[in-house]
Amino acid sequence: MDLFIQRLFDGLFNGAIYASLALALVTIYRSTGLLNFAQAELATFSAYVGLVLAGGSMGASFGGLAGTGLLDGLPGYPFSVPVAVLLATIFGMVAGALLEVVIFRGLERGSPLALVNVTIGLLIVLSGLTTQFWGGAARIFPQLFPADFDDFVWIGGARLRYTTIGSWATLLVVLVVITLLMNRTKAGLAFRAITSNRESARLMGIPVGRTLMLGWAVAGGLGALAACLTASVVSFSPFTMLGALIYALAAATLGGLDSPKGAIVGGIIVAQAQTMIPGYLGLPTELAVVAAVIVLVVVLLFKPSGLFGTVRVERV
Amino acid sequence: MTIAETETAGATSSSPEIMLSVNGIEASYGAVQVLRDLSLEVPKGEVVVVLGANGAGKTTTLRAICNMVTCSGSVTLEGHEIGKSNTADIVNRGVAHVPQGRGTFPELSVKDNLYVGAYTRGDKDGVEDDIDRWFTKYPVLGERKDQTAGSLSGGEQQMLAVSRALMSRPKVLLLDEPSLGLAPIIIEDLFQTFKSINEEEGTTMLVVEQNANLALDIANKGYVLEAGEIVLEGNAKDLQNDPAVQEAYLGG
Repeated sequence: MDLFIQRLFDGLFNGAIYASLALALVTIYRSTGLLNFAQAELATFSAYVGLVLAGGSMGASFGGLAGTGLLDGLPGYPFSVPVAVLLATIFGMVAGALLEVVIFRGLERGSPLALVNVTIGLLIVLSGLTTQFWGGAARIFPQLFPADFDDFVWIGGARLRYTTIGSWATLLVVLVVITLLMNRTKAGLAFRAITSNRESARLMGIPVGRTLMLGWAVAGGLGALAACLTASVVSFSPFTMLGALIYALAAATLGGLDSPKGAIVGGIIVAQAQTMIPGYLGLPTELAVVAAVIVLVVVLLFKPSGLFGTVRVERV
Repeated sequence: MTIAETETAGATSSSPEIMLSVNGIEASYGAVQVLRDLSLEVPKGEVVVVLGANGAGKTTTLRAICNMVTCSGSVTLEGHEIGKSNTADIVNRGVAHVPQGRGTFPELSVKDNLYVGAYTRGDKDGVEDDIDRWFTKYPVLGERKDQTAGSLSGGEQQMLAVSRALMSRPKVLLLDEPSLGLAPIIIEDLFQTFKSINEEEGTTMLVVEQNANLALDIANKGYVLEAGEIVLEGNAKDLQNDPAVQEAYLGG
């Protein structure tokens, strides 16, 4: 029993990360029909921006931006870790919104497949930039929540780490903010209208491009936050989030690609499968991703539109 | 105000003020020309109907007015050119469009559908008042204000779509085949509702329909569209008695 609770706790942290990334993917997908494969790379880039703002150095190729005194003029620099994470999240939001304006608005009439290829192109570009600026090696980021060896509480004979508690608390706050944004503001209402029926939304006088920016900003911010949370727990390289993206894609598909609730639940399930299945079957951890894929395939066999994917209720 | 120089072609009660005017528009989908030199006028406060069979270009005409399809020619609202404006702008200037198939937001609540209809408005209190007004007027919408629009029946959805369009306080309402897919008895009710909206709110309407009889009953003026061209126009009563129209659209 203790072992079960321990495995449950172990999967919770990854669950928060996959849920955030999956929610970012779903936000874009349900409003634009596009799977944004560059989501993880944008998140990674934002996390490194956070690192620089917290006083960390750039890679060799820039001779360490932090050392050049370029940022010393910023009031408050170097920022405390929470502030740096907040600023990195805002950076992710702005970058996401810019992607919509600069790239995707002009391609609105392009075929979905072509647009997905554009996101893969973006993935390569962003990945290249991150590696160029900060190098490809993994490095230790400053801790957002206490993440040392003995930073945990005992619950039911198992260790629940502060980072897990902190990450879920952060994610829950963010979810509340997003829900309020979507349900209590005019821009959120317009965004939901576009998601439901884009053509009708246009006929109601809603500026579609400008409103979609909101979704891209939310997704960019969620991704950045997920990357910052990851970076403050594990040693982080430009490729860490790409692995998380694969689990997040599985999570989003599992939950139903157009369901925010499904993204969260899917993220939790995939992360649990990742720790439980190899744990109980004695598989090597390298095969964890296989476990996640098995869960995905089994669910889709019985529910092709995912756990919460909409089968539209519409009477005519 | 533009006092248009109308040729009062046989119209008995024509008002001289033109709300919406479409002048020589042409539209194509690829190589197929859908609208040919199409012109029509909708006088202020009147109901104008465009009759035509499937594929005659009725929907394209309405979409052209809202700049949802590329077309040449000019469209004016109260004498001001709107043909080159984008759709959001055109809605802002007072054109509301109820698309074919109603175009409600199925996942949104009935009330949220109405809020979206008021997107272009800035007066919060006025919006609340209007929502209350439509809920009082159509209690079935009021009773289901928190249900999703997708759970309403076809007739209820059409009422929702019309109320939603009216939430923008439009100068002119475009209705694209409102009778499509509805039971005859519901269609009759619906057209009576259009008539009372027109009379009570003074809303100018342009309706495209296949259901000629009911549409002509509430209209002041009608046009007949065939293969993208206006082939006949006149006041509604004359069209109802026209042998050609009777044969083609009124079941002889």
